Amino acid sequence: MTFGDPTQRARGSSGIGRFFEAPQIGRMSPASRLIVYSLLLFWSAFVLFPLYWIVITSVKLPIDVNDGPAYLPFIDFAPNMHAWRDLLVLDLAETVKPYRNSVIIALFATIACMLIGSMAAYALARIEYKPKFGTILLFVVAMVGASVSVGIWGVDWRLAAASAGAIFVLLARALGRRFKRSVGNGDILFWMISQRILPPVVTVVPVYMMFQSVRLLDTHFALIVTYTVVNLPIVVWLMYDFFSGIPKDLEESAQLDGASRLTVFYEIVLPLARTGLAATTLLVLIFSWNEYVVALFLSTTNAQTMPILVAAMNGGEKGVLWWKMCVVIIIMIIPVVLMALVLQRFISKGILLGAVKG
Amino acid sequence: MSVADIEAASTATSRAQKLSIRGLNKSFGAVHVVKDLSIDVEPGEFLVLLGPSGCGKTTGLRMIAGLEVADSGQIVLGDSDVTSVLPKYRDVAMVFQSYALYPHKTVADNIGFPLKVRGLPIEQRAAAVREAAAQVHMDDYLDRYPRQLSGGQRQRVALARAIVRRPSVFLMDEPLSNLDAKLRGYMRAELKHMQHELGVTTVYVTHDQVEAMTLAHRVAIMDEGVLQQIGTPRDVYDRPANLFVAGFMGSPSMNFIRGSVENGRFESHGVSLPLVDAAPGGDVVMGFRPEDAQVVDPGAGLFDAKVFTAELTGDVTLVTVALGDTSLAVKMPKEYEVDYDSAVAVTLPLPQAFLFDARSGQRLPARFAEVAR
Ligand SMILES: Nc1ncnc2c1ncn2[C@@H]1O[C@H](COP(=O)(O)OP(=O)(O)OP(=O)(O)O)[C@@H](O)[C@H]1O
Ligand SMILES: [Mg+2]
Repeated sequence: MTFGDPTQRARGSSGIGRFFEAPQIGRMSPASRLIVYSLLLFWSAFVLFPLYWIVITSVKLPIDVNDGPAYLPFIDFAPNMHAWRDLLVLDLAETVKPYRNSVIIALFATIACMLIGSMAAYALARIEYKPKFGTILLFVVAMVGASVSVGIWGVDWRLAAASAGAIFVLLARALGRRFKRSVGNGDILFWMISQRILPPVVTVVPVYMMFQSVRLLDTHFALIVTYTVVNLPIVVWLMYDFFSGIPKDLEESAQLDGASRLTVFYEIVLPLARTGLAATTLLVLIFSWNEYVVALFLSTTNAQTMPILVAAMNGGEKGVLWWKMCVVIIIMIIPVVLMALVLQRFISKGILLGAVKG
Repeated sequence: MSVADIEAASTATSRAQKLSIRGLNKSFGAVHVVKDLSIDVEPGEFLVLLGPSGCGKTTGLRMIAGLEVADSGQIVLGDSDVTSVLPKYRDVAMVFQSYALYPHKTVADNIGFPLKVRGLPIEQRAAAVREAAAQVHMDDYLDRYPRQLSGGQRQRVALARAIVRRPSVFLMDEPLSNLDAKLRGYMRAELKHMQHELGVTTVYVTHDQVEAMTLAHRVAIMDEGVLQQIGTPRDVYDRPANLFVAGFMGSPSMNFIRGSVENGRFESHGVSLPLVDAAPGGDVVMGFRPEDAQVVDPGAGLFDAKVFTAELTGDVTLVTVALGDTSLAVKMPKEYEVDYDSAVAVTLPLPQAFLFDARSGQRLPARFAEVAR
């Protein structure tokens, strides 16, 4: 360096001084770098150790598991592939079925959720809704009226739906004029996220009964629909923020350039929101992939998913089959890690740089 | 240049469209932003919308583009009423105040986007993009992304994207605001030439009056959402309709002396000047431009004053004199030197001074009489 920076000159460039000084703004001094990296290393070990433990447990014999901790393969114990052989060779069909179920359910639930959720979020970010209180109230009353007349008085559901719809349409304007106060986009957004305030356990019994009454228990469809609905608020909430962050000028400019609403969405909005889309997709995918409580209630044999299989390794007269459970966990983790690696390519910061001045 | 001249000049380009705005109003909540705006833009005309920050220029432009729905009024483009037509069918191109470049597309793809959505074949598109980029001297940057460009370069890409297709109307919202003085002067000339060549009807928004004077066929001056005056640059400069226009055009701005009309004379603190057409008595404001006046020895001018400051700005010396508690600016040759606080007098060819009604701000027909010295 030709121009020594003043602080360095003041302290002299002794070795110790350098050790505590940052060479540039935004860089760390060797001392703080040492501290930061040790902390990170410690935390990585803390996070990765369970994974390591799962991997070595999957190659342990029952006796190695039960006779106290054995830490190092080949030294503390001799690795043995018996659990892998049991699950992937002998009982392959038993393992593949829930695996396939999980893939189908998580994939379709994620796709449906992202499609519906991002469209809803885009609408909320760009269109101002002002539904009147009176109209909302009327809608709820009509819905309740229709449900009660079908459920309790045994009215034909088509008749009930038609009359409820007619009443709503006829009275909507009149009532809307009475109750001037209206809700805005913020309220709608909050209402959506409030759907997640109840713990899932509370809602799972009614959901079970609903699917029971339409005879859809233990089907992919039931789980896909439930996961989609449960994850929608998260998608809307997260994507709303990403869409709001895209300058409106860009879309207006594209419109003036002659693009239709759909072209604007595909050419401008989606590419700019791709970081958000990738992150949210991964989140929803993981939620659906790992979900346990709902799956436990809604599936028995045909639609069983992987988390249920994991749980099935627990219990029975033989105790917990740790080695098998670990194998199942490993094969469950692999696709998620792969997805994360794929989606990470779309996650980039500063994608909006250069769009507008200021 | 009169409106007839503009029409004659633009007959060469048959595609040029007339743009008529009639009685446009727009409010945001309780704020009435654009009030009863009516302008006729002739085919091929370069109209500059000039006004201070926040006066509703952008809002007016956005209504012409269709991005903002007018509360009332009509927008007619060519022969068709486009008041309720969607932006994409209006055939207007707009340069946004914020540029609005697509950050995920290269310069070439940005410029080519209007052609792409129109389904132009790729080879034709590439040729048109190169031509438009060359016009704004950005043809060396076609593969860059907007984030890799400077502010001025981005602005030029935005311009190129507007000119790559030949729209009926150009709308430009302060497209040169981010350029340095030299590049701005250069781009101004370039723009003027380009508009002349293409002959496209243009509405250009700025708050820079030099830009307005140099670019415009006609200038429309707005203040607080109200159109104050519309006319050729010379018109609005030499015959300002009211105090606002008089004060807004020109740098430094026009000098004003408050006073009243008594017995056919303009009377103010230490000033008494004869008027030709005896104006009705009442409070008035006298206005004259700094470059019309001269600082002379005490007693030799129309009224005496005291020197407040004298600044050399480069090509002129700007002398500020105090007349009572009014300060007046006078442009003197750059060799002129004077001591602060020295007694001087100010003189000017009186027929070049203006008289405004103090209450309404309107310019009065009355003129000052020549004074023999
Ligand atoms: N979407 C909006 N909602 C509410 N008020 C707005 C909106 N857009 C503009 N305004 C208000 O309208 C007025 C005019 O704004 P506009 O952007 O048209 O000004 P402008 O003349 O373009 O100013 P500038 O030279 O600073 O760009 C301002 O007072 C602004 O606060
Ligand atoms: Mg503006």
